[in-house]
Amino acid sequence: MSTLRLITTGGALAYRALFNWTSPTMYAGTLLAGPTFQLLFFAYLGRQLRVADDGFFIVGNAVLAASSACVFGGTMAVANERRYGTLGHVLLSPRSRTAIFWGRVLPYAGNGLLIAAFTLTAGSLLLGLRIPLAALPGLGLALAAGSLACGFFGLTLGALGLRFRDVWVVSNVAVAVLLLLTGVNVPRGELPQWMIGVGHVLPITHAAEAARLLAAGRGLGAAAPALLAELLVGAGYAIVAAALLKTFEAESRRRASLETL
Amino acid sequence: MGSEYAIEAEGLRRTYRTRTGWLKPRRSEVEAVRGIDLTVRRGELFGLLGPNGAGKTTTIKMLNTLLIPTAGTARICGFDVVTRTREVRRRIGYVFGGDRGLYDRLSGLDNLRYFAELYGVPPHQQKSAIAELLDLVGLTGREHERVEGYSRGMRQRLHIARGLLHDPDVLFLDEPSIGVDPVAARELRRTVGNLAANGTTVLLTTHYMAEADELCDRIAVIADGRLQALGTPAELRSHADGRRVVEVEAYGVPDSAIAALRGLPGVRETAVEERGTLQLLTVQSDAHLDVQGDVLRELAGVRLGRVASREPTLEDAYVAIVNAA
Repeated sequence: MSTLRLITTGGALAYRALFNWTSPTMYAGTLLAGPTFQLLFFAYLGRQLRVADDGFFIVGNAVLAASSACVFGGTMAVANERRYGTLGHVLLSPRSRTAIFWGRVLPYAGNGLLIAAFTLTAGSLLLGLRIPLAALPGLGLALAAGSLACGFFGLTLGALGLRFRDVWVVSNVAVAVLLLLTGVNVPRGELPQWMIGVGHVLPITHAAEAARLLAAGRGLGAAAPALLAELLVGAGYAIVAAALLKTFEAESRRRASLETL
Repeated sequence: MGSEYAIEAEGLRRTYRTRTGWLKPRRSEVEAVRGIDLTVRRGELFGLLGPNGAGKTTTIKMLNTLLIPTAGTARICGFDVVTRTREVRRRIGYVFGGDRGLYDRLSGLDNLRYFAELYGVPPHQQKSAIAELLDLVGLTGREHERVEGYSRGMRQRLHIARGLLHDPDVLFLDEPSIGVDPVAARELRRTVGNLAANGTTVLLTTHYMAEADELCDRIAVIADGRLQALGTPAELRSHADGRRVVEVEAYGVPDSAIAALRGLPGVRETAVEERGTLQLLTVQSDAHLDVQGDVLRELAGVRLGRVASREPTLEDAYVAIVNAA
């Protein structure tokens, strides 16, 4: 019960403490308007180049929309502790590090889901995409799975902040990598084999695939393998993040790596 | 627990290894703490004094589990700080001075709520514990304001409330009064004194001798990573026994004049404290010699303010100990 509180109440408080874009203008500008215009950009570019139809870009960019909040949020969940000088106090907690930091991912994932749903709705209304009503629960699941996986991916990058000062560079590159390798804007069949391989272990890739199947009215049964794959990728990053946090904390005590930064 | 000591350290050492450059990395080692032995009884208020870079904060960070000692051992309430970190962390609070260390975007209340979760305060106790602490540190009524709008003194009081949330047996206070105005500092001393009176073991580092003199049961002076002296404030003052002190307020004293003062017969220590444009010279000499005339002669041509002769204080003893290190 007390661990559940740490994950939920603690996670919510940490979100308010550490997430930079909580003000209405920052939130609307960075997390709602930005992804919507990005969606329109790729949809019109796709029309011009005849790469794919609007539905491909609307669904793909809706799934991708969660990534800014989740990747940067996960990074902020660790890196901003340094900015405020609170990291030492967090590391002095006798509670489980895994519960503390996994709890921080949940609000970011919830946030990502909200942004993805908004972007999907806005894109569909602006470009006239009709999604079957029956597909909506499954689409919600796909967006949630993508957001959660992205949140743990962000936490993995954030964990690097315990070891490296310039972790924001990694996050910026990661967002660009997601844009290119996950098939949200470039059909994966057009990519070189090694990029397809990397895309398999990135968040969003399988969620985008599942969401497209669902939006095409193929049903949850057809999308289930991709959904499961997305959840597995998310679970993998959750484990990697927990291991990195544990390793870097131990290293910081041994090598005073947090002292020198 | 069985141990009669709240804090025990034996042969505590910490070396920092740094590396600079990528192509031709240069490695260097700094011995921040070079073998410290100390014990602090339960309920004792123990002071750790020393100049900047002496090893005080490194010592505290080894004792509170944030750093692993390079050599030696330390125990808090009988628990080893390296192998029993969880037990140690349940029993300690850590407060450091300065503006940082709080979540600026949260209110004071939410800061305490979050750290109550982190430090494992049972949910049914959190509300009352936070209300009591807000009252103790005088922040009742301001708890709903964002911390970014707090003054330095308010932040410092919130730091202390945070450090006490889980009712720790041992409280580490690392320069808690730094930058705090005199009234707030007095309040702070009163709070710290009350904590010790109620049985909390306090390890305090400070640069303010009056604070250490007023509060501490015993004081250790650390310099160059080693303990140079340990005792009650009265025992430490005896390091300056047999001396007398001349204090001179001056403006623009050249280095050559200070060097000349140090060379005067009978002069044991000379310290200069910068106070804006004013320099406060403190010259310690053998008690049977009156060096005031010689001092003023060396300062001829320098604009002077107040000149006074007095008995040595704890600060003078501290200067003598540190300079002898």
